[in-house]
Amino acid sequence: MTRIAIDPITRLEGHGKIEIFLDDAGEVENCYFQVPELRGFEVFCLGRPAEEMPRLTSRICGVCPEAHLMAAAKALDALYHVEPPPAAKKLRELLYSAFFVTDHTTHFYALGGPDFVVGPDAPAAERNILGVIAKVGLEIGGQVIAARKRSHHVIEMIGGRAIHPVSALPGGMSHPITEEQRLEIIDLARQNVEFGQFSIDLFGQMVLQNQEYVDLITSQAYTQRTYYMGLVDANNRVNFYDGVVRVVDPMGVEFASYMPDEYTQHIAEHVEPWTYLKFPYLRKVGWKGFVDGKDSGVYCATPLSRLNAADGMATPLAQAEYERMYETLGGKPIHHTLATHWARLVELLYAAERMLELAEDPEVASPNVRTLPDRKPTEGVGIVEAPRGTLTHHYFTDEKGILVEVNLIVGTTNNHAPIFMSIKRAAEGLIHRGIVNDGILNRIEMAFRSYDPCLSCATHSLPGQMPLEVIVRDCTGAITHHLSQYVAPELLDQEG
Amino acid sequence: MRLRTLIVGLGNPILSDDGVGWRIECALRQQLSDDPSPAVDLQTVDFLHICTGGLALAELMIGYDRVIVADAIVTGQASPGTVYHFRLADLPGTLNSSNSHDTSLRLGLQMLRSCGAHVPREGDVDFIAVEAQDVWTFGESCTPAVEQGIPAAVTAVTELLAAPRQSGSGGRIDNGLQRGKR
Repeated sequence: MTRIAIDPITRLEGHGKIEIFLDDAGEVENCYFQVPELRGFEVFCLGRPAEEMPRLTSRICGVCPEAHLMAAAKALDALYHVEPPPAAKKLRELLYSAFFVTDHTTHFYALGGPDFVVGPDAPAAERNILGVIAKVGLEIGGQVIAARKRSHHVIEMIGGRAIHPVSALPGGMSHPITEEQRLEIIDLARQNVEFGQFSIDLFGQMVLQNQEYVDLITSQAYTQRTYYMGLVDANNRVNFYDGVVRVVDPMGVEFASYMPDEYTQHIAEHVEPWTYLKFPYLRKVGWKGFVDGKDSGVYCATPLSRLNAADGMATPLAQAEYERMYETLGGKPIHHTLATHWARLVELLYAAERMLELAEDPEVASPNVRTLPDRKPTEGVGIVEAPRGTLTHHYFTDEKGILVEVNLIVGTTNNHAPIFMSIKRAAEGLIHRGIVNDGILNRIEMAFRSYDPCLSCATHSLPGQMPLEVIVRDCTGAITHHLSQYVAPELLDQEG
Repeated sequence: MRLRTLIVGLGNPILSDDGVGWRIECALRQQLSDDPSPAVDLQTVDFLHICTGGLALAELMIGYDRVIVADAIVTGQASPGTVYHFRLADLPGTLNSSNSHDTSLRLGLQMLRSCGAHVPREGDVDFIAVEAQDVWTFGESCTPAVEQGIPAAVTAVTELLAAPRQSGSGGRIDNGLQRGKR
């Protein structure tokens, strides 16, 4: 049997591995996706005051600390039985919307977009943001930098720091913003809306007007029919900060709608002996293995999943783009995982519009941003949508507020089974008769990349470098093909 | 015009040895505050400890002429606590300089530079890295071996600060500060 290993080697997370096994005819027979796990986060938390959790859990991740900050703050609201004032909720959502703008911007221009803008067969050294700049023009780089700067500035204003903000507390926020700051944010949000429109127009020009790319997105190699999950508001519109968790089946029909504190009734976790990471699934459907379809409890929680799970977007420009996406790709739900890149841009535009809506509300500058907790803490669940999927924090404390149990289900963990299945499906669709080349390997990586997986976070780690090392072995186990991206030479498999 | 320097302590402070960059930056800042060096003009030096990478780290370097990053590294080729000096150009990848969700630091700096931002040249970004033993367990302190490497790392950063823009491609610095090539 021939073994192909795609090795995401990270300096911080250690070693993740994708291994693809070929049969004697050179067709894909099986696939394994393994990641390591950091030790002791729950133990590290136990015995600490619960109010440390927003700052502590945001340290798990250097990429989306804002998501952990928000989930932790909401879990603490529930834990202390306290309702934050309206202005505090709006401030949190405003900060969080700014975060989504910067996160989705970065992913599209630096990670996902280069596959389309520069091309999936372009040399790896060119499939990056510099390649995008070379193709589209220098102006694009300036726009990306400016969008990130604007959003980081807003995060710093509200969150106290641009990286690892700290202002969310049980019952609200540590400080209000001024009216002057509110007016400044309105101006910044307007620029973000323009940037969101620019980005989605760019996607239209560079991707949708290229039939080869549209065929790639809609190809069977990148298609799987799972359940989809996302937070929705009272009108079943996408919401990143608050609402109920809605799940639709592969036909797009609502399967479940539940409050955060009901998540254990709906989500269970499957364990495989070959990986540290668990595989969440829908408890009421059951675990049927790594298969898609209505009888399989596998669900997906990504930008595309959020759009599939909702009835629409809560802002006008994003709603128009939402409708255009579903019209173009054949209606709801969309099962093409590469369409996640498009969905991410619809969400970017929504986040920018939502920023503007919230900033235009004078109440967001109200000084009343904290309800002091006055009841004994017990148990609390907080759920938000992280950029990479639904994020759940669940804490138990003693009556003094000291943590006695902690459970986190982070964004990428939800998607563990779908990622595994996507890689396998792409490999099955692209590798035949044992023929593998750099373009094929990159297309397999694209299946992985569309999820923007945060394996570090999924294993309770901090993200660092997640380069890919691709190794192809013949039936004797010898390496016949070697592709690496972001891997230091001395770390490459020495057999290569 | 005086050149501006940024000292970055990089890493996760709750992940055992991964937090060594923060420890180095804090120790250095304290040392220079308690015992100012005539060779270091503190008016031109800023200090920062941070837990990020890639483009976000590159953006923090905007406006600086020179950056020295203190970080953890896992080469598996030296005993824990061993101190290394690398330039960005020959950086083998420290634990935190890249970001799985955007770019490498090097690419981030190239992008910023191409868009007209003032960022340090590659030859002016130095890394002082300490070989880590445990970056897998959550904890607020470093392992003893890595702890012992901190003074040598502080000294190495101080030397770079006092004699900036030295030529050479770096290498391993033994705890006795004996420089040697990897």
